[in-house]
Amino acid sequence: MDIKCYIQASAAISPQQSFTGDYTPQLLPLTERNLLRAQEPGYAGFIPPNSLRRMSRLLKMGLTSALQCLRNGNASVPGAIITGTGRGSLQDTEKFLHDIRTYEETALNPTPFIQSTYNSVNGLVALQQQCTDYNNTFVHRGFSFEHALLDSILQIQEGAAQSVLTGGFDEMTVEHHYIKSRIGYWKTALTQPADMLESGTQGTVAGEGSVFFLIGTAPSAVELKGMQMLYKPTPEQLSASLTQFLAQQGVAPEEIDLLVSGRNGDTRFDHFYDVAEKVLPSSVEKIHFKQYCGEYDTAGAFGMWTVTQELLSGRHKTALLYNHFYGEQHTFVLLQA
Amino acid sequence: MAERVLITGIGMISAIGNNVEENFRSLRAQRSGIGYSQYVDTIHRNVLPVGEVKCSTAELAEMAGITDATGFTRTTLLGLIAMQEALLSAGIRDAAETPTAFINASTVGGMCDTEKIYFDILDPEKEGTFLQLIDALDCADCTQRIADHTGLTAYVTTISTACSSSANALMYGARLIRAGLVQRAVCGGTEALTRFTINGFNSLKNIDKRHCMPFDNDRNGLNLGEGAAYLVLESESFAQRRKARPMAELSGWCNTNEAFHPTSPSPEGDGAFEAMRKAIAMSGRTLEDVQYINVHGTATLNNDVSEGRALERLFGDNVPSFSSTKPFTGHTLAAAGAIEAIYSVLSINRQMIWPNLNFNARMEELRISPETRLLEESPVQNVVSNSFGFGGNNASLVISKYGY
Repeated sequence: MDIKCYIQASAAISPQQSFTGDYTPQLLPLTERNLLRAQEPGYAGFIPPNSLRRMSRLLKMGLTSALQCLRNGNASVPGAIITGTGRGSLQDTEKFLHDIRTYEETALNPTPFIQSTYNSVNGLVALQQQCTDYNNTFVHRGFSFEHALLDSILQIQEGAAQSVLTGGFDEMTVEHHYIKSRIGYWKTALTQPADMLESGTQGTVAGEGSVFFLIGTAPSAVELKGMQMLYKPTPEQLSASLTQFLAQQGVAPEEIDLLVSGRNGDTRFDHFYDVAEKVLPSSVEKIHFKQYCGEYDTAGAFGMWTVTQELLSGRHKTALLYNHFYGEQHTFVLLQA
Repeated sequence: MAERVLITGIGMISAIGNNVEENFRSLRAQRSGIGYSQYVDTIHRNVLPVGEVKCSTAELAEMAGITDATGFTRTTLLGLIAMQEALLSAGIRDAAETPTAFINASTVGGMCDTEKIYFDILDPEKEGTFLQLIDALDCADCTQRIADHTGLTAYVTTISTACSSSANALMYGARLIRAGLVQRAVCGGTEALTRFTINGFNSLKNIDKRHCMPFDNDRNGLNLGEGAAYLVLESESFAQRRKARPMAELSGWCNTNEAFHPTSPSPEGDGAFEAMRKAIAMSGRTLEDVQYINVHGTATLNNDVSEGRALERLFGDNVPSFSSTKPFTGHTLAAAGAIEAIYSVLSINRQMIWPNLNFNARMEELRISPETRLLEESPVQNVVSNSFGFGGNNASLVISKYGY
């Protein structure tokens, strides 16, 4: 990159106690279904009470994590707001579908329709912070947050923005969890996060969350070195691309001292993680972040947040994030302390 | 100096035609595609007019050359038809030969088909091929099916910024080219009419029961539409090397946010003003160089005041000819930016300005009124195309005659 990009601040709402205080990842117990629910923070202090009443869950999580990220970065108006979401506000989409049926297309409340539009969180953040500059939303499974990240890097390289608020958010409802269970997204037997990687079964554990970063040109502790996306690669293409990516970044595989990987225990697709691990030295420390946040379209944002926390802790110098979503959208991100 | 981004191929399907040539003929004949729906199952079917593509989903599958259409939604098929034409018109036989980005846009993905079986999906007693449509509940499904069918795999993604989605897709693709990440990007959007969206806009009281009347004092809302459109963008050097025929240049663009209200623009059109001003500045052209503005012009009460005020503020007493083509196609949401970008290319290539249909009386808030005549042999070198949406998302594109 011609202009260096740094992670200046972040904020994460996730199944973990990640929003406030010191972060220690926990292997949380599940009792009912294979779904790690996000722990919602108190919204007072972020959203005025009259707005709070009308807003659905994902909008509250998205807006609040975005605002906290700006506060953490002592920033108010970023140069751009760019996000990714695979599903947007599912709760609103479902409500409007049910309302259409229940009320037979008459006298419908428009609020769920408005909030179901994928760019509604972006609009709210822009409105609340009076940010009138570049604003974009990507909605493509495991290339939602990732293209938001690339767009953010481009904004900075173009000189259009000094700082970008970049986020990824998704929620999982009980209804949608059932829908996706019908096509094999989740493990059929209740599987604990502690056991999911070794379960030897198809599917995984669902999750959700909202993670924002303030990415900018002012130097800070963690540098975003580069990223690459691959669409439906073969294992051979994956291996060659990772080798080439590291070479382009001027980083020898031995320099990587942390691999944050999206391995999720789905026997159909975990072999890609084996391929990536073979490119790196066997001694590299590994964190499989989906044990902590579950699988969702924009889980990669939680993965990058995990990398950031690890680099800030001083335990590691050079970290690679590798994630894919059901074997289709693959992404490498390289970060350095 | 960043490279120029050229438009070397176009493909589309809309209520006024199944390809670019048919669209052109309808524009020239001033023939609207608005009418009552043949294919959407809604109680509003004979009340709210729409701009529907005049083919059943099975007919679309045949046009797209898909023999087994299981899992292909109307959204995907519309997109495939437009994509095939775009590649053909750019002289690209094998799209996989050159690493090419595919930047698509959609507001509700495969909802047109999934809404019909949604409650069957929720019923554990029901089984069948309809379960193959579950993945089409999102916006990525149509994009990936089109990408897989055509071999566009270098960068694959989908943008959703409501009514400005495909304008943003064009911008993003152009920026990937300028950054040197790819030499070619195919960008645009696809949108099918759905009961979901018709009820959504109807609940907002934004739909006119008559044919929509952009910039008319008596306007009372939009007509929804469907369609798909893609533009092949290439770096100038790459296009020259392969001797591609440039149709126009995408010379300027800007994305701004209103930060005013979730579903309404500011009355003075601040976002629209900035988007147009900065896009024209980027293009290196002056205000006087713009001969035509293809306005967003949805015919909602708010949009036309806001956009009209922005035009008056930016251009003063010299507002160029402007018209909304939504009375032809309806408002095709995520596809609108790309459909209207192609109409802008046609305006330059055919030296014509499209009429704003259904206009009778100037708005009392404005001094300006749209072009209501078809202007032929009209010198057009630079066109501004506007797309504004929910969430305050505004986008303006400048499309210029190449070499000018």
